[in-house]
Amino acid sequence: MSLLEITDLSIDYLTERGTLRAVDCVSLSVERGESVGIAGESGCGKTTLGLAVPLLLAPNATVATGSITLDGTSLVGLSEKAMDPMRWTKVAFVFQGAMNALNPVHRIDHQILEAITTHEPGIDVGAARARVLHLLDAVGIAPARASSYPHEFSGGMRQRAMIAMSLACRPRLLIADEPTTALDVISQAQILSLLNNLRHAEGLSLILISHDLAAIKRVCDRVVVMYAGIIVESGSTASIFGTSGAAPSAAHPYTQALISAHPNLHGTRVLAEGLSGHPPDLSQTMIGCRFADRCPMVMEVCHKVAPTLVTIAPGHVAACHLVSGEAS
Amino acid sequence: MSQLPDVTPPGEPVVGVRQRELWRSLWHDKMGRAGVITLAVVLLIIGLGPVIFAFNPSAFGTSSGSLLQGPSRADWFGTTELGQNVFREFLVGGRISLYVGVLATLIAIVLGAGLGLVSGYYAGWRDTVLMRFTDFFLVLPTLPLIIVLAALFGQNLLITSLVIGLTSWPQTARIIRSQVLSLRERPLVQRVRSLGAKDSRIMFAHILPNVAPLIFANLALVLSGSILAQAALAFLGLGDPVQVSWGTMLHNAFNAGAMSTGAWWYFIPPGLGIVAMTLGFALIGNSLERALNPRLKAQR
Amino acid sequence: MNRRYLLRKLATLLVTLFATVTFNFLLFHVLPGSPVQLMARSGHMDAAARRQLVRLFGLNHSLPVQYLIYLRNMIHGQLGFSYVYRTPVTSVLAPAIGNTVILLGAATCLTVVVGVALGVYSASRVRTLTDATITVVALGAWSMPDFFTGMLMIFGAAAWLHFLPISGISTPGLATGLLGHWWDVARHLLLPALTLALVNVAQFSLITRNALVEAMVEDFVLTARAKGVGRRVVLLHHALRNALLPIVTAAALYVGMILGGAIQVETVFSWPGMGLLIYNSVEQRDYPVLEACFLLFAIAVIATNFFADLLYHALDPRVRRT
Repeated sequence: MSLLEITDLSIDYLTERGTLRAVDCVSLSVERGESVGIAGESGCGKTTLGLAVPLLLAPNATVATGSITLDGTSLVGLSEKAMDPMRWTKVAFVFQGAMNALNPVHRIDHQILEAITTHEPGIDVGAARARVLHLLDAVGIAPARASSYPHEFSGGMRQRAMIAMSLACRPRLLIADEPTTALDVISQAQILSLLNNLRHAEGLSLILISHDLAAIKRVCDRVVVMYAGIIVESGSTASIFGTSGAAPSAAHPYTQALISAHPNLHGTRVLAEGLSGHPPDLSQTMIGCRFADRCPMVMEVCHKVAPTLVTIAPGHVAACHLVSGEAS
Repeated sequence: MSQLPDVTPPGEPVVGVRQRELWRSLWHDKMGRAGVITLAVVLLIIGLGPVIFAFNPSAFGTSSGSLLQGPSRADWFGTTELGQNVFREFLVGGRISLYVGVLATLIAIVLGAGLGLVSGYYAGWRDTVLMRFTDFFLVLPTLPLIIVLAALFGQNLLITSLVIGLTSWPQTARIIRSQVLSLRERPLVQRVRSLGAKDSRIMFAHILPNVAPLIFANLALVLSGSILAQAALAFLGLGDPVQVSWGTMLHNAFNAGAMSTGAWWYFIPPGLGIVAMTLGFALIGNSLERALNPRLKAQR
Repeated sequence: MNRRYLLRKLATLLVTLFATVTFNFLLFHVLPGSPVQLMARSGHMDAAARRQLVRLFGLNHSLPVQYLIYLRNMIHGQLGFSYVYRTPVTSVLAPAIGNTVILLGAATCLTVVVGVALGVYSASRVRTLTDATITVVALGAWSMPDFFTGMLMIFGAAAWLHFLPISGISTPGLATGLLGHWWDVARHLLLPALTLALVNVAQFSLITRNALVEAMVEDFVLTARAKGVGRRVVLLHHALRNALLPIVTAAALYVGMILGGAIQVETVFSWPGMGLLIYNSVEQRDYPVLEACFLLFAIAVIATNFFADLLYHALDPRVRRT
């Protein structure tokens, strides 16, 4: 049984301009010890998808269809009271931009301690404190800095503190939303390294949400590419992004565009190209492929019929008429 | 009591919103709509009232029997201790209260927004000096200051409006300045500056339209505060003795002992009039404020 | 607390106090038509009184010297002579200050306790009808002028609650011991304090509610919920703790408001405090008393702001570094 099983999940936002479907019939599974990256540009629904798992969606968001099963328990429709015990113990979340994700008036060690005492109320305070210091040490923060306030930490340190906090209750699944976005490259490398090590040391399952393909490639076994609320391609990072030995086998034009927009420092020099246009308006009904307006390889059929996910190779699926034409 | 109900916690400036959207959201918001309707009713009554019900201005009660009498067929709101028709006084008084409120608000907004605009745009030492100046006036207690100024400088409507306006501008200045400070960093402004546009042009053509929604939200709140301030002044005997406003009516009612003798028709109408007018503006201002700062609606 | 910060704040405090005293001087002594000038030039004072005035304020000297004399008088507690009572202003002020403090104290307790509680309740029910109702009622209460509320209270008391006194601070001629006297004062205090508190409860609850709601949409609240921390704990331990900062700032402004309210309420209920003193001195053109009252009010607000600043500093760790 997979650790996390998301089936046909659709999430709607109720706004002043009408209902917006941010995630449309998405299916995803994560095995124990596996790390999956969710890639895509801003607004593609990846953060919404991530927030849905611990049921942390905004008040005006609803799960329209589908199910989420974590470690055998179905989550959709659970009350807050029922969900609270599972938060942080089964699934933990590392937020984007930890600057504001940490309470500015509480000390760091206090905030991590809170996570522990919330779920283990009878625990001995001394033992809990020791655990806090151990966690911080594991992410490279000295014990002397433990009782500092968030504003006294640099951005990188705050992110590391957040990661330490996320592991406080030994979760099975860690969802990290753009953990490296607001950081400088050195800190980015450190954080990714850290995540990798933790994954192997703790046997953690990881979902990494990011628009940074290099980060996903570094840390994740599999990658899921989202566009305008749907999954357009999914497969192993090695095959989709390619390795030093093999060329990328990305099939969907959007994935290809993403890859070419991330120039490789090694290898042949290629001029980075961007994509013109912008994602479709999710409050309108969409006919045909959602990527059709921006696709460099668009065909007649793309505007009329929406492509479904088809298997290209073992473990590699894509939703594109180019591919389904070949496959059929 | 002319302090604005500054219910926005001091802090970050508000989000920019286009004007048309602003008015539309005001109508869609239940509270905003209630405010607009309340205000419309009040304005209608005091606007058309004196025209429709044309009273003989020197129609004073001649017999003692018509002094301080309750509502009757002849006098819908009863009579005062001088035999005057309360209803008529009510209709006329409303206009005066509104007049002072509007004039005072205009003065406060022009001063406050102007100062905030200049201070926020130039930043630097000019900002520091202007803000120190503003902070000083922010600290002085408002109603006591208004009372002192009115006692020293006179009681006619113009001076009252000036006095109230001069004590209401600091909060507006602070709010506008905050917003301007963040606006001046926007790419559009930077671009226009690098093209060599004159400061005054940038301020009026580019920045002002962007703070206009904020000014409107603030204007409604300042208006409600000014009306209350004028009412308080008049009640304390510092209003214009000739132009009887609602506050003056309450002053007269108080001195005539209307509350203890149970002459409710004398003081409740003007009092409710003040409340209705103030509430109308306050609801509108509150609604606009929430439209500009969606966080107040608790959506993420 | 940081020594440098405290010193800086004290320096600002002194400068503001100085500016206020100067402002007072300008208003009452310098501007054409100011009372002292008028009094000195008019023929309404007898020679002895005029000589006393001239000597007291140094009116035969130049303006800068007058200013220095004014400052010296201020430091010595010499606030002038009341035209009406013909006694030093300080002796007129002294009993009034105490009475106003009693009234403000009672009203403030009510305001803060009920206001914050209401605000917290309203914020916890955000986006529901309860929240909207409380907001509208609060705005309605805010829209009521203090004096009108007082008049309604008197009307209600005179008509239905005959046992509640509607004016003054004590029943004249009442012969009881100390406890009886306090009870008498308390009975007289009820209506005025309630009136004064009513409008400000509205303000406080609105500010608390908005500060809380803004805090609740902050990212760290989401983090706390993600950790599995219960809703109530999040509201009180995380959101409120952060919302305290703008609430404290707003409380400082509140003092300025309540003084204005006190003037109205004391007038309506004939409560012998500084508010009534201001009303009477305006009516009787007793400018020295008016001047002293205004100065005292201004200083009270400035002092409150100073302490509120210190409190804010103590509450917000981000500020403590400076």
